[in-house]
Amino acid sequence: MAASVREKQTVALKRMLNFNAPPLKNAAAEPVWKVLIYDRFGQDIISPLLSVKELRDMGITLHLLLHSDRDPIPDVPAVYFVMPTEENIDRICQDLRNQLYESYYLNFISAISRSKLEDIASAALAANAVTQVTKVYDQYLNFITLEDDMFTLCHQNKELISYHAINRADIQDTEMEAIMDTVVDSLFCFFVTLGAVPIIRCPRGNAAEMVAVKLDKKLRENLRDARNSLFTGDNMAAGQFSFQRPLFVLVDRNVDMATPLHHTWTYQALIHDVLDLQLNRVVMEEGAGADPSPTGARPKKKIRKTYDLTAADKFWQKHKGSPFPEVAESVQEELDSYRAQEDEVKHLKSIMGLEGEDDGAISMLSDNTAKLTSAVSSLPELLEKKRLIDLHTNVATAVLDHIKSRKLDVYFEYEEKLMSKSTLDKSLLDIISDPDAGTPEDKMRLFLIYYITAQQAPSESDLEQYKTALLDAGCDLSPLNYIKQWKAFTKMAATPANYGNSGVKPMGLFSRVMNSGSQFVMEGVKNLVLKQHNLPVTRILDNLMEMKSNPETDDYRYFDPKMLRGSESSIPRNKNPFQEAIVFVVGGGNYIEYQNLVDYAKFKQGKKVVYGCSELSNAAQFTKQLSQLGQK
Amino acid sequence: MAVDITLLFKASVKTVKTRNKAIGIGFDSTKDEIFKRSRPKSGFSPKAKEVITNITKLKDFLLQHRKDYVSAGSLISSDLTRMTDNERDQIDQDAQIFMRTCSEAIKQLRNEAVKQVTSAQVKEHRGAVLDLIEIYLRGVCKLYSEQRAIRVKRMVDKKRLVSEVPNNPVNLWEEGRVEDELSPEEIQMFEQENQRLVSEMNSLVDEVRQIEGKVVEISRLQEIFAEKVLQQETEIDSIHQLVVGATENVKEGNEDIREAIKNNAGFRVWILFFLVMCSFSLLFLDWYDS
Repeated sequence: MAASVREKQTVALKRMLNFNAPPLKNAAAEPVWKVLIYDRFGQDIISPLLSVKELRDMGITLHLLLHSDRDPIPDVPAVYFVMPTEENIDRICQDLRNQLYESYYLNFISAISRSKLEDIASAALAANAVTQVTKVYDQYLNFITLEDDMFTLCHQNKELISYHAINRADIQDTEMEAIMDTVVDSLFCFFVTLGAVPIIRCPRGNAAEMVAVKLDKKLRENLRDARNSLFTGDNMAAGQFSFQRPLFVLVDRNVDMATPLHHTWTYQALIHDVLDLQLNRVVMEEGAGADPSPTGARPKKKIRKTYDLTAADKFWQKHKGSPFPEVAESVQEELDSYRAQEDEVKHLKSIMGLEGEDDGAISMLSDNTAKLTSAVSSLPELLEKKRLIDLHTNVATAVLDHIKSRKLDVYFEYEEKLMSKSTLDKSLLDIISDPDAGTPEDKMRLFLIYYITAQQAPSESDLEQYKTALLDAGCDLSPLNYIKQWKAFTKMAATPANYGNSGVKPMGLFSRVMNSGSQFVMEGVKNLVLKQHNLPVTRILDNLMEMKSNPETDDYRYFDPKMLRGSESSIPRNKNPFQEAIVFVVGGGNYIEYQNLVDYAKFKQGKKVVYGCSELSNAAQFTKQLSQLGQK
Repeated sequence: MAVDITLLFKASVKTVKTRNKAIGIGFDSTKDEIFKRSRPKSGFSPKAKEVITNITKLKDFLLQHRKDYVSAGSLISSDLTRMTDNERDQIDQDAQIFMRTCSEAIKQLRNEAVKQVTSAQVKEHRGAVLDLIEIYLRGVCKLYSEQRAIRVKRMVDKKRLVSEVPNNPVNLWEEGRVEDELSPEEIQMFEQENQRLVSEMNSLVDEVRQIEGKVVEISRLQEIFAEKVLQQETEIDSIHQLVVGATENVKEGNEDIREAIKNNAGFRVWILFFLVMCSFSLLFLDWYDS
């Protein structure tokens, strides 16, 4: 993958916005204006990739939702970017009848069926607008790219393909088929955009296998159809310099249930867990006064602030995956360097003031004007830097408040110890009965992780003790029912997942003293350092990529869509280790796994790993799904 | 990779047409098309397009003559493509007038768009269209100012070369004329003085050149500052309005408080009077009864 998935998708979007012609390089080209109409799916796809300013630069004057009230704007071409669903098609036909725009460029996010195309054709005929429909395209962009190497399938209706939807007890076959079709359609679009046909490996006997079978069938059909194949032609010529095919690993959420519930310690995962992070956008409430003012005046209103965490934000890119204390230190460093630069500029002002009184200072003038010019030209950069520092200070402070109030560091340390099966210094009961350590949800999560990672189930009396303690703390016990079922099921199937040797080493007092000068007062918050460890998903990937033999992964099925006959054997034909891999989790993923994979890829030089999931859920949402499942 | 299914769409249109014909539903396509032709000719969009074509014409013109304009061979070459300074001045003037008219046209369009009563979406669209045109115009103006900056620099360099060269011949010529009348010492003195004058002139010229360069930079900075100040002006205006409103509110509040205090005092006086009257009446009744 010479270009990352995100770049490929951005390039495809820009082409579409340029009326499906390759964008010109000429800087001073004539502006051509257009209107962009999208539905909610299109909005989710475009918003992490292109900002409003970039849209404006491409000539988009208005961007509107498909199902909003739109006024006729004659003489303007309109670019549509929608999913080919019934309501959308109806609305497009309505637009054609109302003659809202001058010409229509219809782009469908995934392939449109022949019958729906005929619906549009008949509406266009009825409205006499056939000549106005200038171009119709299938874009095959039905996935959301959040990072260079991370994508998810959908955000709008993610309850439809969530873990709960797939693992419900009362699910019908037809519903399951529909869910699988949605997932396979998006994965197919992903591979079309990537321009590569992968080799698929998946475990047996669960949703992942169903997805793999369908995907293999779809890819095979498309490759056989030589006329309309999407994988030939300029697709392959455009920057495809790798001769190896990527490895596509499909795993089901059931292989590792503890990670979504885990309390985390890296910056991006913490924001996703503690604050509201969706599609790279953080929404926070600010400005709430802690104590009400004594004179009984109205309390300060909470302001909701939205922050975008983009690829252009260098601090974010560098520290997405760093442990939180490191982030706090780095923000402090950035703030100091910014203040130093600001002081330089202010110092210049005083120099200019002095020199103004001195008449014969022509020789000094040259130096000063040069300095002034450089200062003025660097001002926009400084302002941008200040904005980013403010952003990260606010976000990090909010996260830190949550950590302190819920004692998340204690939970993190304890869970790491549970997952690595090292000795525990505090008993679980103590933490659960501790009234000011975390919300009931946190305690439930901790207990679920304990239950999942225990070698043998705790005895009945212990369980009752824990249950009463949890009920006292106010937790809801329904997730526990489901986890019991799950554990029983997986015990039959395979050995329980091993979380590898992880270790959490609290940094000594010395370093705490050193950090005490920082603005972020991390007293009482342990400065924990993560040691390198591998989550189950990473280990599975490692085994498959390096062709290692391991009882866990040997039984995985092997699909190669390019082979003439579909073979049922699970013996891989390719004996070389893979250089590129795509990991996809069916049933929900999270940033912790993503960060782990990123670390793994950094550790192994020269391998590229892309992480995908059907939907991104943080621990709270996942616990809610588990409780829904447990209530049935 | 996107797939162009326009042909498929057109095929579907044909299928639907034949299907409709078979069922018997006909459409009067020709009549409607004639009606469609008579769209309003004058409107926002054609005018905007006109402005763009004008700016493009200017851009093409500038790019076409750029090579000649910037040609360096003023002293050496004698090609037909060489431009005289007069032609260059003419181009400068024309370009400036053109740019001014274009920006006037944009402003006019903006005023018109604001005055016209249209929906919010159309207003936003027109505003954005005008912004795009302005950015385009600014890009073309940048082209022009780059060219002009190169030309000015060349002229300044040329003048420097030309001014240094005639100095020496003039001196020699003057010396030769007066040689008969002056003695050798005076010649030497004059020579020295000439040398001194020449070096003084040179240093002055150097300084002037430096100052010119700095002045150009300062003018650029000045432009940036003016832009920022204009931006801040609107904000300061709004703050001023708010402050004026706030002072008025505070004044009214003070008045109200004063009134309330007065009322309070007056009320207290009445209560006192009432109580005193009541006690007097009690005493009177008591005296009356006994």
